[in-house]
Amino acid sequence: MNDLKDKRFRSYLLDEESLESISLSKFNKTKLLDGEYLITEASRVMMFSSLSDRKKGTLGTLTVTTFKLSFISGNDKDNENMDEYYQNNLLLDPFEVCLSSIDVIYQLGERTKKKLVCGQNVSGKIKELLVICKNMRVFEFSFKFADKDCGKSVANALLHHSCPKRHPLLFAYEYKKPYNRTLKDVRMFRNTNDWETEMKRTGCKNWRVSSINLNFHMSPLLPRTIIVPASVTDSALSRAVEHFRNRCCPVWVWGTHKGSALVRMSDLLSTITDRTQENIMLEHIRKSHNEKRQPYIMDLSKDCPSPKDIQISYLRLRDLCIPDSIRLFKTQDYKFYGLLDSTKWLTYVSTCLSKAAEGAKEMCPPKPVTVVLQEGNGRDMNCIISSLIQLYLDPHWRTLSGFQSLIEKEWVALGHPFASRHCLVAYPDSEPAPLLLLFLDCVWQLLQQFPTAFEITETYLTTIWDSAHISVFDTFLFNSEHERYLSQTSTTPMILRSIWDWKEQFTEKDIALFYNPLYDDRYTHRLIPNTAIAFLDIWLQCYSRWLPDLEIRNGGKPQIDLCSRFLRSEIHVLKQKLDNGDLNDIAMNGNTNEYLTMLKKVDCFFPFSRNHGQITGTLAINSSLLSGDTLDTQSILNHAAAND
Amino acid sequence: MDKRSSAELLNIDREPGSYNKNLSLDSIHSNSLNSKQESVSWGKTSPSKSYCSSSSTSTENVVSTLERRKVIKTANTENVLIRPDEPPLLPGEKISGQARDVTYLCPYSGPSRGVLTVTNYKLYFRSVDRDTPNVVDVPLGVVSRIEKVGGASSRGENAYGIEIFCKDMRNLRFAHKQENHSRRDVFEKLQQFAFPLSHKIKLFAFEYAELFPENGWAVYEPIAELKRMGVNNDMWKITKINENYEVCDSYPAVWAIPAQALDEEIRTVANFRSRGRIPVLSWIHTESQATITRCSQPLVGVSGKRCREDERYIQLIMDANAQSHKMFIMDARPSANAIANKAKGGGYESEDAYQNAELIFLDIHNIHVMRESLRKLKELCFPNIEETKWLSGVESTYWLKHIKCILAGAVRIVDKVENHKTSVLVHCSDGWDRTAQLTALSMLMLDPYYRTIKGFEVLIEKEWLSFGHKFQQRIGHGDDHHSDADRSPVFLQFVDCVWQITQQFPNAFEFNEYFLITILDHLYSNRFGTFLCNSERERIQEGAKDHTISLWSYTNSQLDVYRNPLYWADTHQQLVLIPIASIRHIKLWKSYYCRWNPSMRTQESVYQRIRELLVLKEQLEKQVEECRREQFIRINFLLFIVYPFGRTKK
Repeated sequence: MNDLKDKRFRSYLLDEESLESISLSKFNKTKLLDGEYLITEASRVMMFSSLSDRKKGTLGTLTVTTFKLSFISGNDKDNENMDEYYQNNLLLDPFEVCLSSIDVIYQLGERTKKKLVCGQNVSGKIKELLVICKNMRVFEFSFKFADKDCGKSVANALLHHSCPKRHPLLFAYEYKKPYNRTLKDVRMFRNTNDWETEMKRTGCKNWRVSSINLNFHMSPLLPRTIIVPASVTDSALSRAVEHFRNRCCPVWVWGTHKGSALVRMSDLLSTITDRTQENIMLEHIRKSHNEKRQPYIMDLSKDCPSPKDIQISYLRLRDLCIPDSIRLFKTQDYKFYGLLDSTKWLTYVSTCLSKAAEGAKEMCPPKPVTVVLQEGNGRDMNCIISSLIQLYLDPHWRTLSGFQSLIEKEWVALGHPFASRHCLVAYPDSEPAPLLLLFLDCVWQLLQQFPTAFEITETYLTTIWDSAHISVFDTFLFNSEHERYLSQTSTTPMILRSIWDWKEQFTEKDIALFYNPLYDDRYTHRLIPNTAIAFLDIWLQCYSRWLPDLEIRNGGKPQIDLCSRFLRSEIHVLKQKLDNGDLNDIAMNGNTNEYLTMLKKVDCFFPFSRNHGQITGTLAINSSLLSGDTLDTQSILNHAAAND
Repeated sequence: MDKRSSAELLNIDREPGSYNKNLSLDSIHSNSLNSKQESVSWGKTSPSKSYCSSSSTSTENVVSTLERRKVIKTANTENVLIRPDEPPLLPGEKISGQARDVTYLCPYSGPSRGVLTVTNYKLYFRSVDRDTPNVVDVPLGVVSRIEKVGGASSRGENAYGIEIFCKDMRNLRFAHKQENHSRRDVFEKLQQFAFPLSHKIKLFAFEYAELFPENGWAVYEPIAELKRMGVNNDMWKITKINENYEVCDSYPAVWAIPAQALDEEIRTVANFRSRGRIPVLSWIHTESQATITRCSQPLVGVSGKRCREDERYIQLIMDANAQSHKMFIMDARPSANAIANKAKGGGYESEDAYQNAELIFLDIHNIHVMRESLRKLKELCFPNIEETKWLSGVESTYWLKHIKCILAGAVRIVDKVENHKTSVLVHCSDGWDRTAQLTALSMLMLDPYYRTIKGFEVLIEKEWLSFGHKFQQRIGHGDDHHSDADRSPVFLQFVDCVWQITQQFPNAFEFNEYFLITILDHLYSNRFGTFLCNSERERIQEGAKDHTISLWSYTNSQLDVYRNPLYWADTHQQLVLIPIASIRHIKLWKSYYCRWNPSMRTQESVYQRIRELLVLKEQLEKQVEECRREQFIRINFLLFIVYPFGRTKK
């Protein structure tokens, strides 16, 4: 077990004598993408290991470019191909993050922690910086050994470029590498064809395609093609749309051949007291049902958390997942479940899952009715609940390509405001909230309860969340289809690069881990999940993977995943043998050995564990979890006092 | 009970398609029906049956419930006279009382009317008013308290009856009709057979007479186990000084102690250790010779008494490991408790007296704290799960914190032994509760042998049973002192810790969760002799080996049911498991604590799917093999029949 650690990151104690002996002979530079420019660079920067209480770290070069923040170790050994078993992003090295994924920057002093405000300049000296990313990754840098003013220029570069003032300043507009689209199965729902196909696929009748929004004239926040009740005329639509917030009139998103449909819309404008237009639309929806049943209306603004609630909850959850000292880690561990409860994150996950279950139940026999989701702006909670209902009911969406199409339809085409929710651009009125993460967490819970029903894996979900903040892909870049359309009309149109083209980011071996080896394509039942908090878990892979102290060596879920993968590949080989009639069994043994070695190298946050190197000392055991003061509060307090 | 009805039930149970359900029944009875068929039936379980049954017992879907719902197909009724009131009986089991028109008040599915039978082993209720009868089948061993509810004047439906409080996280309520006076009889019979020892009746284990192909009493052989670890060797010897249990009556007959230790010395050391429980070997690292030894607290007292022999003896343990000149004494208690024990004549080793030994307190609380914690947990989990405040509720029971503390302690021991090659001596006050938890868990982490089914049985036999964990007192087998302060879920905590480790290392264990639940069910059931009495000496006195059946006879006769499909023996050879003792990784074992709640049973199982894949793989392998054989025959046919001189003819 020890060899695992020694190979990688050397860690240095922070004393200046030993520092002199480190050779920084070969100056390592970050690779630049086509269209990427260097903004500032600082050498001899110390990156602290996580939870090391600023005592252990690595010396190297810190670079800010127009695309990313990059740290490259000064020690060549650290930069050798780190590990074949871990996810390697082709656009970003292990210690690089896209500027868009940076959430907050703090200036650290001996005992102070000051939040730096985006867009403003720092004038004083900066000794240490703490960078917190949207995916809960944390970087802590010290400029103690770097040249004068390095800290300040890095801080200013980050403050000015991580969250630009205007959308066209995002890196996606600069990135010039030609894009060869290789996507086949993903439907984008940008054209009429995709919507028509979807209507046919579901067998839902009495609805029609309307082209009234082809130029985004009727509503800038709806897609160009919308599906509406067959009985409603376009002129009636244009009348109705005036009464809805964001001009989001009811649109069909999914249905069944039994006649129940899933419809999304926003609330009426607050200035409107007369609900006639809404009632007219609901009457049309009723008529579109095979048996003309009254639709079931779900008021999501009333029962679900608001984006603001979700953001507050997310920030609390993040605090719980990124303790900045061992002491805090231990205190949190001491009352973890209570703290988790107070973040309300799982409460919200539970709410979403059960709201969707309520809707799904209505759409099912014995008395299937149409479900209408209604919510303030029609573009937040609607996305989550609508996607979940469809995952419950339609196995089509549980495949990898189906899941991607579902996100394209419910989130991208129907205009979830990604740019403002993910804070990609510093809009004055933007209200950040990780609704996508909340949705992915819900799906993760489903994966836990129905491990054979989905073709996708938790690694895939985690990767979506990571990739959502990489500003070379257009998928999660805009607030609406209209904005995307506009980005194409300027003199230098942005290259629309889909996030689902995973080959842009990963090699085959990483993409293979997106496919669930336990997936059973015969699993077509409706999902009826347990939605109470008691049945939910915390998504450790996504939230805790940056904490080396929590890494289980040779353990955790990846072991199950790899065992099944191996089994699957054995079955595959056997099938091939039978098909080819070639019955020699040479291939099998080689396979087994490779698999066994892999099992021994893989830890519980695989393929995201990059923690080995950061663990110091000769112990595989992390002492922070072992000291006897873990149970007794008084002794924790004493311990703390002794440290102070 | 007559043989016919049991055979009828046997047929019903054997009906194809129903076995899957059956296993979901109860760990205790699922196979009991085979009993009349003599032991032969054990070998005859068809592979498909064991496959299906094991699939329904895998981790997420464990339904080793004692409560069951049985579907009786009408098609079967023509040749079988069903007398559903008659419960299936184990060999040696007798019906002692029956009451009709009793209502079972199920907290989940509501009241149902039926017949309640009490035998010398179990309580059996079967409803009559439903298409799928509600069956409650509970060994009386799990009962901790029985109370009458309501009196002659009680009004209101179901207000008059009996409430039964169980040791396995549930309560049962039955309502009786005042007018037919059935309650008194049932109550008396229940009292009698739930608490036989309080009524001068033998425990059911001594009546139970089923035959198994395997003999579980032969699983653990102390000398063989010591030999497996390389003892005797230069530094350690096997001694039979305690053959007659005279040196220490709660210790086993066979010990391994430092080779240099003299018998006289040992007697002196025994006088200095609480209840004579001197340091003896639990486990030795076959390469580094670092050891885990266990004992009770030294009798230091307020005056700080010393004992040269004890000090020398500890030195011998340290010297037996040439790799290190240091040794750790892990005192499982919180330091405050250890100090408080001085007043009662106990205490802990002072570092002045024991040179080169470092004392560490592991902060694990005593049996009373643990009992209280479990009581709170039961409140939270049964009957209904408190949903809105679930997480805070779990936290307020402190149960997971205690689990974490025990795990962290065991990991520290493993760290010292494995990474520092240093010997560790473990004790608490008497060395039979927390000490057993710690030594057994650290051995499980250090030695892959204990992660096999039989190895785990050896571990329990050795660290828990032979070293005198007082099962009789902690569980209170067959007595009615439900509030006895000696009762405590110490062993349950150990099994919970094992479960936590299996969750963190899903392919390192040969056994599955169902195995652990089966052990816990029979910890209380009194069907087997394994967990009876307080010590090896007492079990010999009672003739447990001769007059009762070992739980391992039962488990080892159906190993397939308990196998973990992910277990890969050679990957983890020699590998030490280091679980992460952080609350973030420690979960509530819902499939045990909340298993009575029907909604708690998760619907899907990873393990079921993996078994499916394994079966598919086996089938394909068979096909490949067949094809290969065919090809071989065809080639030979061509070579030798069609072209008898074929080789020359190309």
